[in-house]
Amino acid sequence: MVTLRAVLRIAVFVAFAAAAVAHGQQPSPVFVVQPGGVVAAVMPPSILASSGIQKRLGSGLTTTFLLTARNRFTGTATGARVEIRYDLWDEVWLVRRIEFDRKSDQQRIVSRDALEKWWRTPIRIVSTNAARLPLQLDLDVLPFSAAEREDARQWMSKSGGVGTASGGRGIVDALIGTTIAAKPILSYRWNLELSLK
Amino acid sequence: MTRLRSLLLVLVTLAAATVTFWFLLHQISGVWLDVALRPEVRVALERSMDDQRKLRDLDPARRAAYRKRFDETQRLLNRIEVIRMSREALLRRFELALLLVFALAAAGTAVVLWLRYRRARDRERQEYLQRMTSLQETARRHAHEIKGPLTAARLELERYADLVRAGATDDERARAEESVSEELERLARYTREFSSFAGVGKPAMRRESLGQMIEEFCATFTNAWPGVELRDGGVDAIVCADRDMVRQVLVNLCSNSAGAGAKTIAFAIVKSGARVAVDVRDDGGGVPEPLRARIFDPYVTSRRIGEGMGLGLAISRKVMLDHGGDLQLAATSSAGTTMRVLFGDDQC
Repeated sequence: MVTLRAVLRIAVFVAFAAAAVAHGQQPSPVFVVQPGGVVAAVMPPSILASSGIQKRLGSGLTTTFLLTARNRFTGTATGARVEIRYDLWDEVWLVRRIEFDRKSDQQRIVSRDALEKWWRTPIRIVSTNAARLPLQLDLDVLPFSAAEREDARQWMSKSGGVGTASGGRGIVDALIGTTIAAKPILSYRWNLELSLK
Repeated sequence: MTRLRSLLLVLVTLAAATVTFWFLLHQISGVWLDVALRPEVRVALERSMDDQRKLRDLDPARRAAYRKRFDETQRLLNRIEVIRMSREALLRRFELALLLVFALAAAGTAVVLWLRYRRARDRERQEYLQRMTSLQETARRHAHEIKGPLTAARLELERYADLVRAGATDDERARAEESVSEELERLARYTREFSSFAGVGKPAMRRESLGQMIEEFCATFTNAWPGVELRDGGVDAIVCADRDMVRQVLVNLCSNSAGAGAKTIAFAIVKSGARVAVDVRDDGGGVPEPLRARIFDPYVTSRRIGEGMGLGLAISRKVMLDHGGDLQLAATSSAGTTMRVLFGDDQC
């Protein structure tokens, strides 16, 4: 049993310390410990199913789920990212997942069911050798990607005569550049105490 | 005048701020108002994308072309959507920028006005102190000029009374009377100096040969100031002038030069276009630096109390201004001074 446990190293610890969860009613991820002390998170399906996210997913823009895992003791942080864009031409979901170690996975998903299944795949967020991991996990849902923001910024700064007026272009560019930013449409925070043994 | 200038400054600053605001408004708001915020643009783009999809199904052979147009349209739509989502932040930032520009303009105006006010106040204070110092000096000179002859006359009168009581001879009494008369004459001269200052009349202008005037002046006054040589420049020019008044000006200048220790006073006629001037150059000690800016003000003099009231240059300048010209301190140093007597360009 012990060997099997060591080989599989899959143990699910859903650590809900009573005082650690700030938002009692909000959905919580499930954590999976993988070989090598890697902690992966399974995002709650209710997040993907929420009306705010559904509305964004059909926009044609890249909805970005930004995960930030912070060790509350050491303060070190790692991140992972999930990007979902609905391709209106082929009517497929273009999804991408970038984990904490920059490992990337990209897929074309043809159905809603397949998307939900893919969503439930654990995403690796942090690696540790410690027996216990005091973790603060933040999830920010951004309505568009950095590339789409930059494209819009450049387009705007060249539109409407801005590009022809050299006098204030630098100021206007700076104003637009610092103002067009993807503000989270949804944010979650979980404080957990994970036991890895 | 100062208030008018301040008002003008505020108006100009506000106008500059408004132009800046307008510029920013034009640069930014025009973009999103004309493109991003119009719902019909978004609807039209979405319809266009639907159309490309339908065309793809109807005409599969041109699928790639439709796809290209579809992607272009979607990119445009995405951009508009991104800007629409940032609209509130852009507006807030824009308003903040306007507020900052206004605040900076207002603060700049306030600082400029405050500096101007402080400078004006300091200048006024300095001018007042200067006026007071000048008046004190004048009062001291007046007191000295009056007190000197009065004291002397009183003492002479007492002596005269003593002589009468002692049965002095007619000669002794006559000498005492003469002495009193001299002191009273000093007082009379003193008052005459003021009369001449108060009563500088208008010049009776006539065509005059300036060269001839200077030549005659040098001949007439060659011994007026012992140890001082007058040098005639030898060049001629015709001017409109009151001969007697100009001569009085030259007398005043030469007196000052002699008082400053000059050994030589040279006259040179200078022509500049239609204007004619006489440069009176001496080799005296020059005008003391603190007096240079006020040399033509009444009661300003480098002489000791009792040696003059400092009205000569004030009267001389008034005379030359009445001539349509001016009297200027052209140059001064410890090696000498040049005064420029400038004539007007009016024809007689």
